[in-house]
Amino acid sequence: MTRPAIDVRDVGVTFRPYVDSRPTLRRGFRRSQREVVALRDVSFTVMRGEAFGVIGHNGAGKTTLLRVMAQTLAPTTGSVTVRGRVSTLLSLGVGFKPELSGRRNVYLGGLAQGLTRVEIDEMFDQIVEYAELEDAIDLPVSSYSSGMFARLAFSISMHLTPDIVLLDEILSVGDASFRSKSQASMDELLSNSGTIVFVSHSMPRVAEFCDRVAWLNGGTLMEVGPAAETVERYQDYVSRRRRLRESAPS
Amino acid sequence: MGIAAPPRPPSVYSRIRRYLTELWRRREFAVFLGWGSFSARNAGTALGLVWWVLNPLLLGGVYFLIFGLLFNSRTPEFMVYLMCGMFVFQFSGQSLAGGAQSILSNAKLLANVKFPRLVLPIARIVESGMGFLFSLPVLGLIAVLAGVPILVGPLWLLLLAIPLQVLFNVGLASASARLVVPFRDLTNFLPYVNRVWLYASPIIWTLDRLEGADETILTILQMNPMWHLLAIYRGALLGSPWDWSNVAVFGLWTVAVFVVGVGVFVRYEKVMVREL
Repeated sequence: MTRPAIDVRDVGVTFRPYVDSRPTLRRGFRRSQREVVALRDVSFTVMRGEAFGVIGHNGAGKTTLLRVMAQTLAPTTGSVTVRGRVSTLLSLGVGFKPELSGRRNVYLGGLAQGLTRVEIDEMFDQIVEYAELEDAIDLPVSSYSSGMFARLAFSISMHLTPDIVLLDEILSVGDASFRSKSQASMDELLSNSGTIVFVSHSMPRVAEFCDRVAWLNGGTLMEVGPAAETVERYQDYVSRRRRLRESAPS
Repeated sequence: MGIAAPPRPPSVYSRIRRYLTELWRRREFAVFLGWGSFSARNAGTALGLVWWVLNPLLLGGVYFLIFGLLFNSRTPEFMVYLMCGMFVFQFSGQSLAGGAQSILSNAKLLANVKFPRLVLPIARIVESGMGFLFSLPVLGLIAVLAGVPILVGPLWLLLLAIPLQVLFNVGLASASARLVVPFRDLTNFLPYVNRVWLYASPIIWTLDRLEGADETILTILQMNPMWHLLAIYRGALLGSPWDWSNVAVFGLWTVAVFVVGVGVFVRYEKVMVREL
């Protein structure tokens, strides 16, 4: 029996960002009232053991949706129910302090993701070994190459033994050998009835890796369906739009 | 069976309890984060850890030079009085300023990981608390070198003063963290608030300068929580006169600042990320 891992119900998100505009006397010190609607009435369910993709243009609301699922962003309307321990990799090296050594950043990153110090003590060697950073672990992270940085961050996330992993565009971490290693870890997670939600612009990857896909456009959900078909319809839509734009008089 | 009642929202009490439980679970994160920022500050410098002691020393030295010369009161007693006040004040002043930055400077962390946001202002208290901790032996050393008796008052007062100040600072940092997100202009304003607060507290001037001062001015100066906190610390460390009214007034301030500060912070927490 498959059970839901993430249940997204009628979710809408409206941002009130800090707008950099010319101050006027009339507005005075009041904050800008401009609002940005990032998501509108989005509903779907992600099942346990599923690899779920999210696709769409830049600014379609993909990252916002992931943040809502990570529960770091409370939706303005609607609700999200998440069952299980979530590990997020929405951007790399969250909570890292580059001035500090890799060793201390393993602790910082792990504690940020909700591990205890004792738990990190126990898996410390594994994390370092997986990241292939045995020789560099006592150097400051600011001296790492971007590949080393990414490997360390990714390794921490994979050692959280999460039930759900939320990934933003970073399966392409490190060199070829590390990529295949990270792919293997993902597959293992999935086979242990873990859940992966994956945002990407690489359509072949999404079609190959995901079971189902949600397609966002301008903050609304266009459709949710089997990966290959949804990706195909999305690509049709994109090329149709491009043709339209090219044929239109400028 | 009757008609099912609509699910009632959890009571305030149970919500507070859940929040505190979650916060307690994240205590190691708060401590490590604060400690990390504290030690990151001097990472890569030649003197490294020495700066932990050198910083408060230089700070006190500069103030002593300026105000000692300015007010022509370069006695050893004044030097220890000044440094004691300075270090205690810094702990709260840095919490106010640091708390304001705690949310703004951690936007990436906030966007990615779910945890009680109060961890961030608390980490700032840990950070400024480390500085305070390292400044205490410096104070002792200076007093010994200057020949001023130290640790001569009722030392158990410290067991009251330090926890009270920590709670006071948490309230202060949370309030400024909450206010700064929608009103960013405050970031520019806070250093001046701190400056005025410093000058309005008995740190660079001594109490005997108030002799013959206007009653109203005296009353206003004594509304300052720092006035009373300093009296408690100096009572314990330097054996200066203090009384229970100092403890009572600062205690009341602490309760008020803590409840209001943490209250407004936690209520705003959910909306905060959408306004960053």
